[in-house]
Amino acid sequence: MRIFLHECKKALTSPILIALLIVFSAFNIFIIVSSSDHKEELKMVNEIIDRYGREITDDSLKQFQKDIQNDLLELKGITGQQFDSVYVFLDGLRFEEQEQYSDKDWEFINSLQLKEMYFSMANSIDESYAEIDVVAGGQGDLKRYGIGGKAAETYSEENEEFAERFKEMVNNEEHKEWFFAGKSYFMHSFLFKTVFLHIIIESLLLIVLMTALITTYEFENRTQLLTYSTRRGRKLMKDKLAASLAVSTVISLLLFTITLGTYFFLFDYSHVWETSISSAFNWEYNFPNVTWWDLSVGEFLIGVLVLVFIIQLLFSGLTFALSVIVKSSYITFFLFATLFVLGWLLPTFMPKSSNLLFVSSYTLSTLTMAISQSFMGSNGLILFKNFEWMTISCWMVITIVFCAITYKYFRKMDIQ
Amino acid sequence: MRVLWNELKKILTWKMLVLLIFINSVLYFLLIEFDIEYFPNGSDMYSYNLGIEMIKKYGITMDRDEFIDFEKTYADDVKKADDYLQSREEFGEEGLETYEKFRDYDWVNRSGKASELRDEVFFNQSVDLFWELQERERLIEFYKWKDSIPERLSKKKQQRFEELIAQKKFGLYPEVAWMNFKRFIANVGIAILFSVVLVISPVILKDRSRQIVPMQYTTKKGRKLFRTKILAGVIATFIVITALLTVYFSLYSLNNTSMFFDVRVNTFIGNESWFDPTFFQFIMLFISGIYIIGLVFGLLSMAFSSLVPNMVSLIGIQIPFVIGFLIIGLYPLLPDMISIWNPKWLSLISYCTIIIIVILFTAVLWKREKKMDIL
Repeated sequence: MRIFLHECKKALTSPILIALLIVFSAFNIFIIVSSSDHKEELKMVNEIIDRYGREITDDSLKQFQKDIQNDLLELKGITGQQFDSVYVFLDGLRFEEQEQYSDKDWEFINSLQLKEMYFSMANSIDESYAEIDVVAGGQGDLKRYGIGGKAAETYSEENEEFAERFKEMVNNEEHKEWFFAGKSYFMHSFLFKTVFLHIIIESLLLIVLMTALITTYEFENRTQLLTYSTRRGRKLMKDKLAASLAVSTVISLLLFTITLGTYFFLFDYSHVWETSISSAFNWEYNFPNVTWWDLSVGEFLIGVLVLVFIIQLLFSGLTFALSVIVKSSYITFFLFATLFVLGWLLPTFMPKSSNLLFVSSYTLSTLTMAISQSFMGSNGLILFKNFEWMTISCWMVITIVFCAITYKYFRKMDIQ
Repeated sequence: MRVLWNELKKILTWKMLVLLIFINSVLYFLLIEFDIEYFPNGSDMYSYNLGIEMIKKYGITMDRDEFIDFEKTYADDVKKADDYLQSREEFGEEGLETYEKFRDYDWVNRSGKASELRDEVFFNQSVDLFWELQERERLIEFYKWKDSIPERLSKKKQQRFEELIAQKKFGLYPEVAWMNFKRFIANVGIAILFSVVLVISPVILKDRSRQIVPMQYTTKKGRKLFRTKILAGVIATFIVITALLTVYFSLYSLNNTSMFFDVRVNTFIGNESWFDPTFFQFIMLFISGIYIIGLVFGLLSMAFSSLVPNMVSLIGIQIPFVIGFLIIGLYPLLPDMISIWNPKWLSLISYCTIIIIVILFTAVLWKREKKMDIL
């Protein structure tokens, strides 16, 4: 145990790594704060959920419409004119007239505008989902990416299954729940892409550096002849692996706590945890986000967090194995970075008519880079239902085997 | 001299060169391949071809007469398009018997049949003429706006715009080749930056972690060896940058953009600049820029290399500098170095500042090394 703690200390007391952690956290906080202009506007959803419930039903929409009508009457009181919609009022508004209204009036007008936006979006859900044809969309994708042969068959098969799921989702009305308007705020991409990718890449940098530092420490400080001839001897590598994993967990925990803490402090998610992640309001680009399972926002967040932690531990293990072979932390770092990118680019080197195209995308790098679309069927070419758990379990096996082999190799290695 | 040669051999080891090639090939596929493989990309081809045609016909500038001739060619092409449309009855049925009607057709509220026909012309059969016409229209549109200045500019920028208009330098030549080059050099800049940092960083630390410095410093050459190491690092930086630039520019030559080399940068569309070099001169400017940046980061790496205790810290300390430079400095210092949207002297002053800071930094370290306790 003492050896383990001392190994951990080697990485955790490195002043430059601590400084990096602070710089990264500050950078993340800066990114979140600098794009939080709309955090007040987001509270409208909380108000709506409080008043009409989380689920969008015909009754609640009717009630919502009635309330908007009342608000429009109130607007008449302020402006002295009758408007069908606050947008008509805003369009006709001249620049000079803006000062006629007090701040309080503006607050009212703005909130009314938001309400109308959410109402019209909720109203058009059925219409826009009826237009979606998953199978045809999949065929279009195949044509666009120029995929044929076996690969096209595999894709179409999976896509048909997804079409079933899509129908089931619509029947369950998972999509009829309130969430922040995706097309205006892009909260899903912001949290799971921008923020998460920043955290993941930063913590990966730290994890790789720390793991490489711990593993190659004896060689780089020329103490290998001493440490590996003690009673503990070459079994020390086991402690080093354990220490690397522990340090990786601590580092990413810290980075996640600081960054996500800031995020959820600024953005109030308290009312939308239960909302389904496949909500129609979570529709940002051409296709809505639709998951393979019925997941709520909270469950999705936990799922992604678990995924990320496992990925990072696996990366730490892989780095450990790599640095045992390479014996230099410097080269390990650059090799790791290059291999990470290579893993991500792998599918682009594959023939577009063979299943290799999909097999080669089951890498940890691809999983990491597409983390915002995990568990989703609306995930382009990696829509496969088994993508996450298959990738994780395959790579878990690879990592364990790789670590075991290198450990065995190390036991007999020349350490001069 | 022999010491210098040996130091150089220590930097450019086989292992390092293999790693360098590996990293650069991955970076090539990640960043650069797209701009080489897919140039001109899709419908940009018409833009590219038209640009070449303009240079052949009118030279590197266009005066009023030449532009009238350009419009005449457009009118001729329109006639050809009219003939094409009239030769096909389906178009007549949809009320698209002339190109003018085709162009001004309300495509937003289009009928199914009309948009099918349009897709056929543009995508399925891909009648080149229609794409070319669009491109010509775009250029004529830009010509119309040549004397207008964007609103809300600072005084200096406004002056520069007026100056350009007075000199009749306005964006008229298609910008595909230029934009492609700008993306290309930004990415080459990234690849070279990473390569230099990779090769140069361990230079000084390596000897220290092997604990041979005390031995080196008691030889006849003594502490002057530090200077030799730095010199070797600088030479290695030069070698790495030159080799990579040679490789990347030979790849770039596949893009076949040499016809545009004599065109002045201000005559490309949407590319007002503070100075007015030709495309080729700008490439030279870029090359000197990349050498400066490479040397600065090489020297910086060596400086860190003589300060930090181990390899991991050496990487760790450079991450914020390199990433920070990529976020803030890369574009203003490389592709946009003379762009009007940055202050006029920004790039020159930044270059001077970083050079001075790095030289001072190295000098301080040299002084420190002279007196340092090496035990």
